[in-house]
Amino acid sequence: MGKARKPVQIIILFLIVLLGGYAIGSSVFGGDGKPKEGSTAPSFELLGLDGKSHTLDEYKGKAVVLNFWGSWCAPCVKEMPALQAQWEKWKDEGVVVVGVNVGEDQMTVENFVKLVDINFPIVMDPGRDAVRSYGISPMPTTFFINARGKVDSIHIGQLDLSTLDTQIGKLVKR
Amino acid sequence: MSSKAPLFTNTKCECGHQNPVGTVLCEACGKPLEEKEAESSENLEMRYDGVARRSQRVNPGIIDRVWNFFSSVKIAVYLIVLTLLGSMLGTILPQESTFLNIDASTYYKQEYGTAGDIYYKLGLSHTYESWWFVTLLVMIGASLVICSLDRVLPLYKALTRQKIRKHRQFLTRQKVVLVTEVQDDPETWVERVAGPLKKRGYRVKTDGGALLAEKHRFSRWGPYVIHIGLIIFLLAVLARGLPGLNMDQHLAFPQGEITQIPDTTFYLENKKFIVEFYTEEEMPEEFRGKKVLPKLYETQAVLYECTADCGDPSKKPQLNEVASHDIRVNSPLSYKGLKAYQFDYDLTPVLRSVQPELKDSRTGEVYGKFKLTMKNPERSFEAGPYTVTLKEKYMDFGLSDEGQPVSVSPYPNAPAFLFLITGPDLPAEGQQYFYFPKQVDKTKFQQTAINDKLGGGSRFLELEVGDMKDVDFSESTTYLNVRVDRAMPFIWVGAAIVMLGLVLGFYWQHRRVWLTVDDGVLTLGGHTNKNWFGFRREIVGVLGKVDMAVDEKTLDNGGGLA
Amino acid sequence: MSLLDFSSDIFIAAFFLYSGAFMLYTIAIMGRKWSGRKPEEHTARWGKIAFAASSIGLLCHLAYFITRWMGSGHIPVSNMYEFMTFLSMMVMVAFTVIFAIYRKIILGLFAVPISIILMAYAAVFPQEVQPLIPSLKSIYLNIHVTLAALGESFFAVGFAAGLMYLLRTVNFGSKDKNDRKQQRLVEFTLFSIIVILGFLVSVFAFRGAGYESVFVRPNVTIDSPGQENSTIEKVSYKMPPIVAPYDSEIESFQSFLGMDKPLFEAPSWMNGVNAGRKFNTVIWSLISGLLLYGLIRLIVRKPLGEAIHPVLDGIDADDLDEITYRAIAIGFPIFTLGALIFAMIWAQVAWGRFWGWDPKEVWALVTWLFYSAYLHLRLARGWQGRKSAWLAVLGFLVVMFTLVGVNLVIAGLHSYAGTD
Repeated sequence: MGKARKPVQIIILFLIVLLGGYAIGSSVFGGDGKPKEGSTAPSFELLGLDGKSHTLDEYKGKAVVLNFWGSWCAPCVKEMPALQAQWEKWKDEGVVVVGVNVGEDQMTVENFVKLVDINFPIVMDPGRDAVRSYGISPMPTTFFINARGKVDSIHIGQLDLSTLDTQIGKLVKR
Repeated sequence: MSSKAPLFTNTKCECGHQNPVGTVLCEACGKPLEEKEAESSENLEMRYDGVARRSQRVNPGIIDRVWNFFSSVKIAVYLIVLTLLGSMLGTILPQESTFLNIDASTYYKQEYGTAGDIYYKLGLSHTYESWWFVTLLVMIGASLVICSLDRVLPLYKALTRQKIRKHRQFLTRQKVVLVTEVQDDPETWVERVAGPLKKRGYRVKTDGGALLAEKHRFSRWGPYVIHIGLIIFLLAVLARGLPGLNMDQHLAFPQGEITQIPDTTFYLENKKFIVEFYTEEEMPEEFRGKKVLPKLYETQAVLYECTADCGDPSKKPQLNEVASHDIRVNSPLSYKGLKAYQFDYDLTPVLRSVQPELKDSRTGEVYGKFKLTMKNPERSFEAGPYTVTLKEKYMDFGLSDEGQPVSVSPYPNAPAFLFLITGPDLPAEGQQYFYFPKQVDKTKFQQTAINDKLGGGSRFLELEVGDMKDVDFSESTTYLNVRVDRAMPFIWVGAAIVMLGLVLGFYWQHRRVWLTVDDGVLTLGGHTNKNWFGFRREIVGVLGKVDMAVDEKTLDNGGGLA
Repeated sequence: MSLLDFSSDIFIAAFFLYSGAFMLYTIAIMGRKWSGRKPEEHTARWGKIAFAASSIGLLCHLAYFITRWMGSGHIPVSNMYEFMTFLSMMVMVAFTVIFAIYRKIILGLFAVPISIILMAYAAVFPQEVQPLIPSLKSIYLNIHVTLAALGESFFAVGFAAGLMYLLRTVNFGSKDKNDRKQQRLVEFTLFSIIVILGFLVSVFAFRGAGYESVFVRPNVTIDSPGQENSTIEKVSYKMPPIVAPYDSEIESFQSFLGMDKPLFEAPSWMNGVNAGRKFNTVIWSLISGLLLYGLIRLIVRKPLGEAIHPVLDGIDADDLDEITYRAIAIGFPIFTLGALIFAMIWAQVAWGRFWGWDPKEVWALVTWLFYSAYLHLRLARGWQGRKSAWLAVLGFLVVMFTLVGVNLVIAGLHSYAGTD
């Protein structure tokens, strides 16, 4: 026993540092589980307006602008033309704009898409699954996800054309 | 205890036993080792039986220093007091976690003024998740492990290797002491006193004219059992944070609907939600008419598990009933570790579907009835010779700043539908018709006026609900907390071990009596780890059995406390 | 006569029996010097009578508890009144247990008043039997509340013995700086107890006189869609308002000793509708406490500690120290089981989380940590005697804050309705 004392001490102290570090680390950085800038964007599987289901994985290698919106949310409606314009500008340069409709049914979404005349991919989240995993509270919220699937930046509130343009520009450069 | 050992101490006792550094009382005969200590006549320090703590050594290195830090009871008490003070700070204002939906950065300032803002900025609005609080808990955990290890092994050794004959000084400096004359032959007297001691549950060992009687030694392990329980408890708490072991969701379940529990393959149906209040007769007179007290909240729930087509949003999942339970406040639904708890409710009815009839307002003739659901309605209906096509729907009808009809929320508070009707006596391109299922909205938004404008004066078709049974709505919504906590069994095991240790340590006492009879003189020393009062009474009783009358107070060698 | 009527009658009987027992304990201890008999004989004889009286009181108290349980159909620990009456009963149980071990008559002189004060405090709250709200309908109400109260009662006896130790050992004649500090601290402790008495006296005096003044305050809350909700909050003062609620208007004012309006208004940070009223109660308690204290000082003409000190003459200080420790050592496991473990089990069953850092939970933990520190200091660092006695006194303050203070000052899931 006497000879084993030192190694035993070292092993116990090491375990304490390991478990303690994990405890402190998870309380400080773990937070609420919402994605932050720099963290991996959560995956999702949602039904698209095209009738097929879509995942984040299928856009791997492309920069993704993930916009959470609802037809009843006025600032969401106002930023749609800007998103459409940027979609048209960047779609050939490896950027995809995806609109995630929150909690509405297909008809509402279809009518809305027709009304505001947009043609970037739209997926629907009636059960608010993606809303939960992305930790969305106010709308609109837009996630800029780079080609490696990491969240580059998060924009809460209405986007205008120029910020959108600079954000996407940054996204493509990285 | 914490007195520094001189650099060169002779740790060899006169009885020939070699003791480790830091030993207070010789491990074999119990003679005080330090010279200063040996000359004194004070009560002996019997903590851990005077053995050296494991980590005490002459030249501590860095590992030893860290180890000694956590091994100190003084540090442990500081940690306890700091945790205590920290916990207090967190109760001054409500913690962020008590609110479901707030923006903490503005909430505290708005609600509690500058003091609230300072509270938030100091991080006290999430005290119990802060790095310093968790660090304190981790340090307490470290202290628990190291303190226990450092003391329990030497103590175990000391207690299992007790010598029967102890140094005279060891006996006379106990807190219970008796020195008196006996006439009998030493061995005979010792044999005589052994009987009554055994009767009182002591395990007695004799060695000629010396005796050691001991009982309830297990009580000495109580503190360490408590510490082990606490360590298991803390580890279990830590394990709750591991992915997959813990889930906590606050979900709404409208009555009569099957709702998926996100991130699981489970679906829960709220068959019926009941809220009852105490009647006037059940209330005390003073409260009648003044106070309403709830009697029951109950969600009649059925749990389903998805068996196929689960993840695919384009298909309907196939469900299989696995459990059903009437969830009440103290009675959650439980299935394989998944639990659903009654949390809140909302009695606002939510419209699900209506079955309006297409009617000729001139003749009263009904052409047909169709079902219009609020969510994902069909787009086209046949009613007699007429075709009714749904063009637009608004869940919560309103007008935008530009005067356009919009929905102001995704909830069916004021649903509205725009139809295009085609058929006999109507223009070839059809006639538009605006339909508000709710009566309040019909008047509020002037359905008739709108339709008169759309269809002109000669309009003769109306959509109306004929019977209340054609209206389907969810009467209420129940809110459940759905949780999974796979570490819970370990929490309870830890708590149970803590309780076991507490009972062992606090409700029994380790009592020992040493005595020697030399040259007609009896020297008796006694030690217990608490309740000296009862111990002295017991010794008086034992000595009474061998016809030796002693007063309880004469046994008291001063300081017989605790 | 219904069960519940019988219940409240026998409760009053218990109250008077305790009060009688308190007087008998006083005679047993104080009378030994001038009774003419040998002091030990006198104390033993009267002590027996006193203990008999307090035990009959406890039996009546038990009868109250059982009949109220039968009459109401649920265990009577579901509101502040019932809890406080139960706690006072448990204090008597703890006292009886400790008395059975140590046979110290003088313990009755200090422990019984705690029970009497708790009973009187209970009477401040509404006494009607209330049906149980859904969250209280659980077997754990029976286990958690009763065990927690029992554990706390042992702490109360520890407090009594600790205070006795201090009164016995502090050198009241000395002018030494350290002794003076001890004297002042003991005096402050006694003064705090008198302030509690002052609170009770003012509550019952003004209640007896039927005093009431009412303040109103409009409260505007803004709902999310921009709708303003205006409600009028009403506060009824049962004591003359020295301080009015913040930002309020008088609806009715009963004048008191020529005072026909509040002297001042509560500061703005006391913005809760009842904060002003509570503050007013505190002021009145202090006033009556000071008056009471002044009166006693006028009669005895020396500090209270010094006046009580001779009562404890001849009592072995070491015994008092051991009783303090023993009471706490017996109470600690019970408290752990009742106030923490069963609290966690119940929280798990009711809310699905065994621990939620609710203020009441945190304060139970604070109490537990405090007594763990006490035990560590005593067992491993040799804090005995005076330091240990002070900790026992301070510990009970923490217990009382957990039971009463949290309800008054901090609102949480546990708050019973109708706290004063």
